[in-house]
Amino acid sequence: MEAAPAHQVEAALAIDDSIQAIPVGRIAIWWFLASEIMVFGGLIACFVLFRLAHGGWDAEAAHVHWQIGAFNTLVLLTSSYTMAMACTAAKADDAARLRICLLLTVLLGLTFLGVKAHEYSLEAAKGLTPWSGLFWAFYYTLTGLHSVHVLAGIVVNFFLWIAARRSSLWPMIQRRIEYAGLYWHFVDVVWIFLFPLVYLS
Amino acid sequence: MIESMHDSPAAVRTLDLHIWEWLLALLAAGLVVFVLPIPKIVALALVFGAALIKAVLVVRNYMHLKAEHPLLYVIALFPVLLFIVMAIALLPDIAWKR
Repeated sequence: MEAAPAHQVEAALAIDDSIQAIPVGRIAIWWFLASEIMVFGGLIACFVLFRLAHGGWDAEAAHVHWQIGAFNTLVLLTSSYTMAMACTAAKADDAARLRICLLLTVLLGLTFLGVKAHEYSLEAAKGLTPWSGLFWAFYYTLTGLHSVHVLAGIVVNFFLWIAARRSSLWPMIQRRIEYAGLYWHFVDVVWIFLFPLVYLS
Repeated sequence: MIESMHDSPAAVRTLDLHIWEWLLALLAAGLVVFVLPIPKIVALALVFGAALIKAVLVVRNYMHLKAEHPLLYVIALFPVLLFIVMAIALLPDIAWKR
């Protein structure tokens, strides 16, 4: 077999090097997010298809509180901004700003969950539970699964906030903030689609 | 990531702030469309269009995908493609079969 020209070999090695330059942790978190896309994508696809098959569920959808959903969207979008600021602070070695931004992100996440719990209580008071029909089963499954993801993000960010208070843990923090940020933004993107699907359709 | 290597933290913070402002503006636009007395199909198209733009803004800027290696694009977009294909494949059987 004829050997490849030197410039082709160099080009191939350069591509290989650039792939290897991606940190393993970053590739791992993107794989994890890809699997999450399949989980939420499958549920959302089922919801859309069943909704089309059942005439749109307009009567049921009229009972959801879109104003509360809009407020929670505002909260989550703002938390994405504070998380992005935390990542920038980590890269800039600005520990004080990182701690403030992480704490704000945690507090905004808790606000989201608190408002969601209040919304669930309003619906439950009207007798609208996961057993009230297919629409409500989908509603509670989709928003409940998303809320569990928000809770997981809050826990991770809280531990990073605690760790960021110790300077000895700083090198470990910087990389993990990036991964936690990717996860948190993904949870925000899921809500960006859930809000119009569930509340505005 | 290319962005972090070339942009100062102040420039990145300014960009992040602008992205957040756009996200809020798109959220407000979606809500205005929702309450306006326009045909539902038009309102839905606009609301989901705004949602798509918001998602792209977050993924490209806050998740830094615009400056990432193409391999990460493949990892992120392949499941989205699979999800769309599966939904379309099931559409005739579930949604339109009465």
